[in-house]
Amino acid sequence: MQLRYVFTELRTGLRRNLSMHLAVIVTLFVSLSLAGIGILVQREATVARDSLGDELKILVNLCTDEDPSHSPNCASGEVTADQQQRIEKEIADSDEVASSSFQSKEEGYERAYEQAKRNNTQAAFEGPDPVVTVERWPAAYWVTLKTPERADGIISALEGLDGVSVIKDQRKALGQIFGIMTVLKYGSWIGAGFLLFAALLQVTNTIRLAALARRREIAIMRLVGASTLYIALPFLLEALVAAIVGVALAAGLLAAFQYWGVEKALSDHVQFLPWVDWGDYTQALIGLFPPGIVILGPALTLIPTLLLTRKYVKV
Amino acid sequence: MIRFEKVTKRYPGPGRPALDQVTLDIDKGEFVYLVGTSGSGKSTALRLVLRELRPTTGHVHVAGKEINRMAGWKVPRLRRQIGTVFQDFRLLPNKTVTENVAFAQQVIGKSRREIGKVVPETLELVGLKDKGDRMPDELSGGEQQRVAIARAFVNRPMILIADEPTGNLDPATSAGIMNLLGDINQTGTTVVMATHDHGIVDQFTKRVIELDHGKVVRDEASGSYGFQH
Ligand SMILES: Nc1ncnc2c1ncn2[C@@H]1O[C@H](COP(=O)(O)OP(=O)(O)O)[C@@H](O)[C@H]1O
Ligand SMILES: [Mg+2]
Repeated sequence: MQLRYVFTELRTGLRRNLSMHLAVIVTLFVSLSLAGIGILVQREATVARDSLGDELKILVNLCTDEDPSHSPNCASGEVTADQQQRIEKEIADSDEVASSSFQSKEEGYERAYEQAKRNNTQAAFEGPDPVVTVERWPAAYWVTLKTPERADGIISALEGLDGVSVIKDQRKALGQIFGIMTVLKYGSWIGAGFLLFAALLQVTNTIRLAALARRREIAIMRLVGASTLYIALPFLLEALVAAIVGVALAAGLLAAFQYWGVEKALSDHVQFLPWVDWGDYTQALIGLFPPGIVILGPALTLIPTLLLTRKYVKV
Repeated sequence: MIRFEKVTKRYPGPGRPALDQVTLDIDKGEFVYLVGTSGSGKSTALRLVLRELRPTTGHVHVAGKEINRMAGWKVPRLRRQIGTVFQDFRLLPNKTVTENVAFAQQVIGKSRREIGKVVPETLELVGLKDKGDRMPDELSGGEQQRVAIARAFVNRPMILIADEPTGNLDPATSAGIMNLLGDINQTGTTVVMATHDHGIVDQFTKRVIELDHGKVVRDEASGSYGFQH
């Protein structure tokens, strides 16, 4: 196929409708950025749940030698098998508990080390004489509640048991954080949705104007037997160029957000949370579910273009 | 080459059909006038040949193929075998004469080399050898129609369809266009020309098919325009 005509048309088309294309690009840029931020917030919630548990979970740390809590429960040093059995029975007998799982010293240590590396705070784990070691890390039970409201019974029962060092009950704090994340996520997706709808209308209008401006050419192309694809190609390429520019701008903005916002600011100030990394950023770009902006942008411009050109260019 | 079998075409809305049980047969290499008053159905018949329209009932065959049931993606291939000329020329105003003619080849994927060879040949054939660089609005009506004929003929179609090609031209210029269409017919191209120009039909005697209210009322091998009126 001879494409010289197509590219000439693409160039004149982009120039002729420059203001419309700019409008499409800006709208796509903003809406895709919002969609991407929504995805990053969703990933952040997942990352946070993975390492901190969610608002249904309570962490029951068991005693270690020289336990830092100085709790009277730890008078006998490292938790014993007998003590552990009592604790396990107490958890199993409680009607507030949905399920529980044991986390060994090694597992807990690995998990904490991973999270520290994510946040660049692994110094305490490393070096010739590290502060944090497997021996000093407590074994623990993750207790999952039936509802976040009812935990008093199990907490007071465990508090007095020998072998229980501290009970970390982060239900309130985590509940608030996840609440904020949910609002942020849906807020940015709703905003993105409205703007993507606007982008869709703009794409539609751009094509209608372009088809109008080119109606003589199109009529003659149909008459002399140009294929539908050939006639539609300049339209598709115009839409594709707009999509690529919009996606590139949004990807740039998200990268800047990840670098200066998350890595240089948030993760320094808020260290108890693990933060999204460049892997999550990649997901926001090319993930499938929810669709990343590299998929969303071209799909939202090319699909309406294909449908409309079929209408305007029909043989 | 073109065959209508009991073709009826009804446009949406009430009223009689634009074509009513039309049956006709045009052989390869013929030159045929389609005559009749305005609204008698001439343009409708031509658009059926191009498959711009489909018949309401009946069958249209072009080059041995029943085109009503042809798949949409095959229609461009059909149209590459048919050149079309209109009363209002339909040239692209922002392209030169050469570019206008070349356009018909570019958009069906002909190579630059072929275009460079065939376009000047065709311009010479229609008598516009020296006017390739002109813009359409720098040409007379007759010259513009020659450009349109060059564009219709540049892909060497089997069939040339002309819908009132002399409708906007004075008699002397029209005669020139008729000679050109005659030359094209001499190359073996089937020519179907819709017209209601008495002078032309009587002067350049050819087969005449007359339509009246969508019906074929006359088909004469070597007729004149409406001798019975
Ligand atoms: N697109 C259309 N929609 C509805 N009616 C049409 C359309 N085109 C033509 N007609 C009607 O069909 C009849 C035949 O028209 P046409 O084929 O253009 O005749 P001609 O070319 O001989 O003047 C006329 O009555 C005309 O009003
Ligand atoms: Mg007509």
